[in-house]
Amino acid sequence: MGEEAWQLSNPMLGIGAIIATFVLFYVVGYISNRKSSSVTDLYVAGSSIGPLTNGLAMASTYMSLATFLGITALILQLQVPFIMLWIQLILSIPLITIIYGTSLRRMGAFSPTHFIRERYGLSASIIAALFMILVSLMYSLGQMIGIALAFETVLGIPYMTGLIVGGLVIVGYVTLGGMAGASNNAAIQMVIIALMFIVPLGAIMKAMGGSGWFFPPLLYADMVPAMVEAMPNFFDYQFSPKWYVSLIGLTIGSLGLPHLAMRIYTASSLKSARTAMVWFAFIIGLVFSATYAMGFVGVYATETQGVAISPADADKLTLILNLVYNPEWVTALVIAGAISAGLSTLSGNLLAIGALLSQDIVSVLKPDLKVRTRVKLGYAAIFTGGIISILLAINPPAFLVVSILWAFGLAGVTNAPLIIVGVWWKEANKFGAIAASVIGGAIYIVVSPFVFPSIVLTGHSVTDGMGLSGAMLAIPISFILLIVVSYLTNRMPKLSAMLTAKEDHALIERIHGWKDVHPGRYNSTIGAAITVVFFTVIAVWAVMPWNM
Amino acid sequence: MKAYKMEVRFTILLTALFLLAGNVALVFSIFPVQGNLFGFPIMYIVPILSGWFGILFLTIVANKVGNRIDEEIERENGLLTSAETETGKQKKSHSKEGA
Repeated sequence: MGEEAWQLSNPMLGIGAIIATFVLFYVVGYISNRKSSSVTDLYVAGSSIGPLTNGLAMASTYMSLATFLGITALILQLQVPFIMLWIQLILSIPLITIIYGTSLRRMGAFSPTHFIRERYGLSASIIAALFMILVSLMYSLGQMIGIALAFETVLGIPYMTGLIVGGLVIVGYVTLGGMAGASNNAAIQMVIIALMFIVPLGAIMKAMGGSGWFFPPLLYADMVPAMVEAMPNFFDYQFSPKWYVSLIGLTIGSLGLPHLAMRIYTASSLKSARTAMVWFAFIIGLVFSATYAMGFVGVYATETQGVAISPADADKLTLILNLVYNPEWVTALVIAGAISAGLSTLSGNLLAIGALLSQDIVSVLKPDLKVRTRVKLGYAAIFTGGIISILLAINPPAFLVVSILWAFGLAGVTNAPLIIVGVWWKEANKFGAIAASVIGGAIYIVVSPFVFPSIVLTGHSVTDGMGLSGAMLAIPISFILLIVVSYLTNRMPKLSAMLTAKEDHALIERIHGWKDVHPGRYNSTIGAAITVVFFTVIAVWAVMPWNM
Repeated sequence: MKAYKMEVRFTILLTALFLLAGNVALVFSIFPVQGNLFGFPIMYIVPILSGWFGILFLTIVANKVGNRIDEEIERENGLLTSAETETGKQKKSHSKEGA
């Protein structure tokens, strides 16, 4: 098989599947949203979502279009190391829940920035909010690229037309919906994503002669010998332990993602939030494993079955496999599934942008604003965020996952340290927070290949582009600055007089569930010192040669 | 302070276990192993299984432990409230005796 233009020969099938999916989402969104009139309803659905719905919604928000299109492309490019990279991303919701999610839920926070404002004050929260908007935009960018690719495959139209048509339809949907619609829809989307990804994968495996087609996520061992014969290095780890250590930066990054943490605040109770975490782990593990299988099958197809995929089409691997091995109507359903995956993540991202701009920046600077104006402002921010992500996607990076993972790293540098240290260490203050966010964020942006292509840490384009190397340097610096600057400024009378230590201590005790303030709690200097020493070692290691 | 110590210890321990279960590939990159399991290379399938079922198991543990810590904090809060009430009553009776 030679290289060809991959598209549906009957576009009506694809259009029909997409319209049917959208009608379903609009109906669910409309029914769920009739009650959504307040700001709380818009962003956290009145904190009323049950554990199974919330677990499904968490998984759906997190999974994104990358699951359908992006991951398989990079498995094709990097093979097993990329699978190993993706595995640890399951840690996001469990770690958010145990480290700070339940505390912020107890506080009644709208968003992580809300916590940062209460904990570190106005300036720090506005800086954090601006970085979070950039994170959400970069994350949305990846989704927009995928949506454009999906529309391109359905209609056989150019990428640019697909981007504008698909982008506007989806931005319109999210602007008209709210978090309640998004949560219920996200749960339905999750079921659709799972079915439309795993069932067609089983059919592809069956067409290839695989015997484990009835449970694709784990049963493809019979294809391993042929794979090893055709591509002996498929299972090689390729990179040094340092590369695998740098993956933990993505885990920390996932702890700073605003749209993900917001899912915990939609839980009806702390117990419900924890149960949702268990559902999340089960579902996301299932779909992630199926994605690795799809990547494996994709490489298998190119190496043993003669399916030729040009580098420009790598992000379409899942769709191409369906076009080659399944009937067209199945591909149409897979495209609808991919679009719904992008839709749910974009909903989360754009709602986070709306909340950040209207709640965390404008309302803070202008507290007298009427509630109705704030809600309107939220809708305007959601729409504008969508339009910006469409504009950014006009000239996209080579792989859609790259911008998403880069966003993880930025969140890990600018937000996660502020939240984690802020929840667990009373001494953390606004001077440390501002230094960590601004300097850490600036270093991360400077060493990324997007701003100064010559200033990079490894020279390995995907590793630098995904922010792995930058995060391994900037996240430790951010933690060190937060701790050291806070510790020093707390001991400078002129500066410490500008702090609200008493209120901060009371806040920390309260969000952990305590009714009193005890000086011995959340105040360990030894713990802070160990953290500084540990991260100094990692930062020094990050600037040493990577030999890639 | 018992509930506080329990909260800090379990958060650190569970975070470490979660990181380990999700990063088995890091361990294998330092200590490579040969051989197959369920028809796959061990260094391929073990990180995948641990990254799904290992994490699922830990979320169940974290769920139970988190709820227990909440109850323990509530219990200590309750003790604090009753101790304050008791002190209040004693102060009242002392002032009555004084009068």
